[in-house]
Amino acid sequence: MKQKLIFSTLLSFFILFVGCTAQKDGTEKVLNLSITAKVKGMDPIYANDKYSGNEVARVYEGLLEYHYLKRPYTLVPNLAAAMPTVSEDGLTYTFKIKKGVFFQDDLAFPGGKGRELKAADFVYSIKRLADPKLQGLGWWLLEGKVVGLNEWRKKYSDQPKVDYNEDIPGLKALDDYTLQFKLIKSFPQFLYSLAMPFTFAVAREVVDKYGAEFINHPVGTGPFMLPEFKQTNKIVYKKSPTFRKKLYPSDASPEFQSFLKDAGKPLPFVDKVVVNLIVESQPRWLNFQKGKIDVIGVPKDNFDAAITPDRKLSTELTKKGIHLLITPSLDVTYTAYNHDLKLFHNVKLRRAMSLAYDIKKSNELFYNNTALPAQSVVPPGIAGNIKGYANPYRNKNIALAKKLLVEAGFPNGAGLPEITYDCPSSTVSRQIGEFFKKNMAEIGINIKVVTNPWPELQKKITQRKVMLYGIAWGADYPDAENFLQLLYGPNKAPGANGSGFNDAGFNQDFAKAALMQDSPARTTLYEKLNKFVAEQVPWIFGVHRQSFTLHHEWLRNYIPTDFEHGQAQYLSVDLVTRNLKIKEL
Amino acid sequence: MNIYIYIFRRLLYVIPVLLGVCLIIYVLFNLVSPDPTMIMLGKHATAEQMAELRHELGLDRSWLLQYFDVVKSAFTFDFGRSYSTKQLISEMIMQGAIPSLTLTIPGFVLATMIAISISLLVSFYRGKFLDKSIVFLCVTMVSISSLAYILFGQWFFAYKLGVFEISGYEYGFPYFIPYVLLPILIWVLLSVGPDVRFYRTIILDEIYQDYVRTARAKGLGETTILFKHVLKNAMIPIITYLVIQIPFLILGALLLESFFGIPGLGGITLTAINSSDFPVIKAMAILSAVAYIIFSVITDVLYTLVDPRVRLS
Repeated sequence: MKQKLIFSTLLSFFILFVGCTAQKDGTEKVLNLSITAKVKGMDPIYANDKYSGNEVARVYEGLLEYHYLKRPYTLVPNLAAAMPTVSEDGLTYTFKIKKGVFFQDDLAFPGGKGRELKAADFVYSIKRLADPKLQGLGWWLLEGKVVGLNEWRKKYSDQPKVDYNEDIPGLKALDDYTLQFKLIKSFPQFLYSLAMPFTFAVAREVVDKYGAEFINHPVGTGPFMLPEFKQTNKIVYKKSPTFRKKLYPSDASPEFQSFLKDAGKPLPFVDKVVVNLIVESQPRWLNFQKGKIDVIGVPKDNFDAAITPDRKLSTELTKKGIHLLITPSLDVTYTAYNHDLKLFHNVKLRRAMSLAYDIKKSNELFYNNTALPAQSVVPPGIAGNIKGYANPYRNKNIALAKKLLVEAGFPNGAGLPEITYDCPSSTVSRQIGEFFKKNMAEIGINIKVVTNPWPELQKKITQRKVMLYGIAWGADYPDAENFLQLLYGPNKAPGANGSGFNDAGFNQDFAKAALMQDSPARTTLYEKLNKFVAEQVPWIFGVHRQSFTLHHEWLRNYIPTDFEHGQAQYLSVDLVTRNLKIKEL
Repeated sequence: MNIYIYIFRRLLYVIPVLLGVCLIIYVLFNLVSPDPTMIMLGKHATAEQMAELRHELGLDRSWLLQYFDVVKSAFTFDFGRSYSTKQLISEMIMQGAIPSLTLTIPGFVLATMIAISISLLVSFYRGKFLDKSIVFLCVTMVSISSLAYILFGQWFFAYKLGVFEISGYEYGFPYFIPYVLLPILIWVLLSVGPDVRFYRTIILDEIYQDYVRTARAKGLGETTILFKHVLKNAMIPIITYLVIQIPFLILGALLLESFFGIPGLGGITLTAINSSDFPVIKAMAILSAVAYIIFSVITDVLYTLVDPRVRLS
């Protein structure tokens, strides 16, 4: 009897196991993605990291978006019917909103049917971003820019409740389909703000119904819907049945002409988007190789196995129908001097240290020789980067570094204190620190590497308790202003200028450029600023990283981008190829 | 002493312990650690917005009021919402505890059963080839890094052979089973080595006691001696070892959860520490302290059940 019981128990477990692992038939177009960090939630105003921003943008939409097939990045209307009309003084932006755009169905609406999007929804959504009680993480975008918005925020910061019905002079719905912004001063980057998830449209009824739980109940106008968000290892979106008729682009930059096969077809192409949270690189890599993930950035540890020395895909992966895409990222890594320290006011010392740093070897050791050595702060691909420019204080030159060190008053490092180099506590950051220390030792400078948990490093930078620190910056929007502001004196920590570089001439030119509309004159000024900082060496410039992305051949229309918001709607899955290929993996 | 009075008295100790834990947590995360507003606001933080956020979070109130908040949440178990994710912490814990327990409980039970069985076996054959071989194997198993088991197991069994899922998790029975089988197997492999060595030492300590010689003299068989007498007398250290591990089962297995994509509590704690998410860290620290105290009481009570010589007074 006992034996029978054991046998039947084992048999049931086996059946359950087989049942649970049975492969689903591939009749549904499912896009399988992976992310490496947790998503904070589905409220646009808190989407201040890449992962949360991408997830929010599957459900919610903004007035503008980046053209999927154009580089340099170009803004185009999304929920706006057209690009705005801008007043002559550049201060008033008037948008017409698309008609016939509906929020997804939800119990928050009468009868559970989503209602039409109105200009007032944008007014409400932007007020939420400014709401002092909510402390939206994208407030920096609009702070001091829209007439009356700062005053509204300040007025309610000490009151128990915020009045959303109060008018704000610079933020008005002129009618159901017309939205107007009035700016305090010219801010040419303003339009980029409207393509960022922080400003995406939410419906007041939904916020009111769910209250604090709104973060888990996303209801937008976007191509995908998610009935409830849970902080777990998998997020499954379904195609929204009420999504408006939005078509795949019919024009593209020359390099993307081959991506026009789906031109004019209605979006989105897939029925489901499954986003898997996989923190570690090995399971991510193995899942990709098994075809359970459609696209992946090549993990550092698998780089040599996947990519050949001449930057081609390995034969093994090519045979599996995997494709490689290499694209530069809009970012910069750097080692910043703390300019509050008198020691680093000595430009010759800064230049000497920069010349002692072996950027080529660093690229080889830490980026698999895939990154582009940075000549200054503005990365390639945006106006302000000077094509072909070589920073005279880059590339290892020990003789010149030693000569400059003598001129700086520190022959062979004599007279210099031990200089601390603070970095995050990850293995690679520590290794970069040790490499930096070794490089500086060659000219007699003694470096002490100090590793810190990320919050601690931020605290030390803000409190000016660092001498040198290694860090990186990724673009919020594709404009040199977003990089040059890192060296603008008034932005000193706790602002974005952590190094505290403060040069009157630079500040003056930057302030001027920041008010200029995109034009050849502004590009010239950006280039001047970029060259100036290259030669002043306020940081030791690191690299502009490049992304090496692999995708299976069944994934269609995939183009790596720095701004992935809304990308999933353009992607398609070829089911025939997938069902055929996946058996071979 | 009546067992209920004893339990009540021991549980009263929770109060001073919790007050102390609250004080340590408060000092560590309010006075020593980085300002959470800086982490929350990210790279665009300004002094003004940091001050506003500190005000909204109540971090600009007197330290006494803030300490009182910590104490209040410890006794009401209302931990509020996470700074980072704005999620209700109670729900985060509930949601994370289930995956953690579906991995750790089977792993713990299996590893314990296997380890005790092997320990009894090698004790039976003490000094013989089997004993030496198993001890050697255990030492070898302990010497290998846990990461090696995970990386190899995942690559070989899940990727190459395709016997298990590579990673992931599905909520609900029986959907989670395929996802936890390999992590459980690795848990068992990781635990059996040190456990066998521990239990073997305890059992061998007992085997050389006088009462065992007496039992043999009375003609009892080795199996009866081992299971009826030795094992029972070895139960006190075994119970101490086992019960004290239980609170840590609830907290999850960080490395296994991370590599196998199991959304357990281990990951929640680590993420909270990395993002200075004070309310979550506070909740996890308080829960750990409470669980530790409760299971200490359970251990004491179990002592009296397995050994009548132990008195609760």
